[in-house]
Amino acid sequence: MKTQIKKYYPLLPVYAAYLILFIIGKNMTGMWQLVAMLLFYCALGQAFNIFLGMTGYVDFGYVAFMGVGTYGMALSISRLADTQMGIWIIAMGFLLAILMSGLLSVAVGAVALRLRGAYFAIATIGVNEGFRFLIEGARIWNGSEGIIFTAQLNKILGREAASALSTFWADVMVLIIAALAALVTMVYMRSKIGYALTALREDEDAAKVMGINVTKFKIIAFITSAGFAGLVGASAWALKTPYVFPPEVFEIHYTVEGIIIVLLGGAGTLLGPVAGGLIYGISKYYLAIFLPGFQLLIFAPIIIIIIVMFPEGVVGMLKVRLNNTIFERFII
Amino acid sequence: MALLELEKVTKRFGGLVAVDGISLEIKQGQFVGIVGPNGSGKTTLFNCISGVFFPEEGQVIFEGQDITTLPPYKRAPLGIGRTFQIPRPFASATVRENIAVGAMFGTLGNQLSVDESLDQADIIIKRVGLDEHRGKAAGTLTPVEKKLMEIARALAMKPKLLLMDEAMAGMHPNDIDEMVAFIKKIAEEDKIAIVAMVEHIMRAVVGMAEKVIVLHQGAKIVDAPTKEALQDPKVVEVYLGHPPEE
Repeated sequence: MKTQIKKYYPLLPVYAAYLILFIIGKNMTGMWQLVAMLLFYCALGQAFNIFLGMTGYVDFGYVAFMGVGTYGMALSISRLADTQMGIWIIAMGFLLAILMSGLLSVAVGAVALRLRGAYFAIATIGVNEGFRFLIEGARIWNGSEGIIFTAQLNKILGREAASALSTFWADVMVLIIAALAALVTMVYMRSKIGYALTALREDEDAAKVMGINVTKFKIIAFITSAGFAGLVGASAWALKTPYVFPPEVFEIHYTVEGIIIVLLGGAGTLLGPVAGGLIYGISKYYLAIFLPGFQLLIFAPIIIIIIVMFPEGVVGMLKVRLNNTIFERFII
Repeated sequence: MALLELEKVTKRFGGLVAVDGISLEIKQGQFVGIVGPNGSGKTTLFNCISGVFFPEEGQVIFEGQDITTLPPYKRAPLGIGRTFQIPRPFASATVRENIAVGAMFGTLGNQLSVDESLDQADIIIKRVGLDEHRGKAAGTLTPVEKKLMEIARALAMKPKLLLMDEAMAGMHPNDIDEMVAFIKKIAEEDKIAIVAMVEHIMRAVVGMAEKVIVLHQGAKIVDAPTKEALQDPKVVEVYLGHPPEE
């Protein structure tokens, strides 16, 4: 039993980081906004890492899963507001978010995961834009007018609770989702799924000959990662700001941010997305304050320097440095 | 019953016939060398057996089961293991993890948990003498160590048939002798049939194979016990050309 628990030690630094973030945000005035942003980036990294980091496949359409998740929550709240379900509508929204992003990932994965490496990446670039134009063009879910559900949310929760949801509880939910994504990552890493993913990331042909059904494991990682993206969209976007417009939630910018966070922190590591999310979020926030207008100019070289210095990411480097020390068992 | 049977297997790439109607039989526990110059179809033949390619004609039968079009990941659990000419380790994973992957998805894959697979890996690491490299990332090993690790990884699959692609290429003659002795020992202890592909290191073939199959331009030209095969005039011709005329 004790050895079983020991295997999950690497979760400790991850959860410690989230706890510290939460305490800082809760107790220091004016900090919650920054903390909320950092939590969002950590959650995005943690979710994306399950696919991008563990399989080594780059999905440029990843934000589509967050967008669809946002719609899941929006649809649940706007369509069910007149029922007597009360707060369960939010739970329904999360369920719908997972279902919709999961379904989309099955559809995309069934086609695109037959391709490898750069071809996969190129194939997925279109997914995001395609889905956005499908919604707008075919006028699905109100098309380009989007869904505004402020009134329905107020009706379900009451004005005060709805406001607390958008300023505080939505961010707490993002934190919980990030923590869950970390837990799932850890469980995968300690199971055959993790070993299979490592093998196929390093050498897909060798993995096949070793008896690994690579397609199956890629799809497992893809669906899991997409499901978490849907949850992040549902809470960080739909609950935080009670409206959804296609151009805002299908914005490729977030995919790129997710890729940077994962690579910066250390692809395929557990702690990496947290490190990457914090480095990315903090530098973006303060550069915008101290050097408004120049932030990207400074930011780009910082990222390049980190990637060049630590090609395995910050945590990848730490892992090597801490090998054979007592910290070894905490860093994965 | 033969462990592996190939019946008139043909594989073409466009107009090129890489493997041309080859039939052969490998018995359980047998040590067979496949010899042939560069481009004679050895690797393609291996790929047809391990499932990387499906042949256009003919059948591949393993333990009485037709596996001609079975995907590679389904062949490994049946007991077909393979090593590569240029080792292909899972570079970022440790030696121990690499070998454990073999146990996890090999013939005992369904019965072994992750922990049991790691225990299996430890046993095999001891056996092949990689103890000091156990926790190292596989990518950091020397080429010879990588070869050894790849063999260990294949052994962890507990295969009935092990296909070795140029296992000795690029090795020092002393290392070759050691490797040959080691492989022979393992094969006998575990009753694994080994099919070793050899391009030019005859030393390895003579040292271990009971039977030699010689390929030339995609076709099988000789299939005989080792000594006989190497003296066959056709083999001499393929390797050395015509004897000089007086």
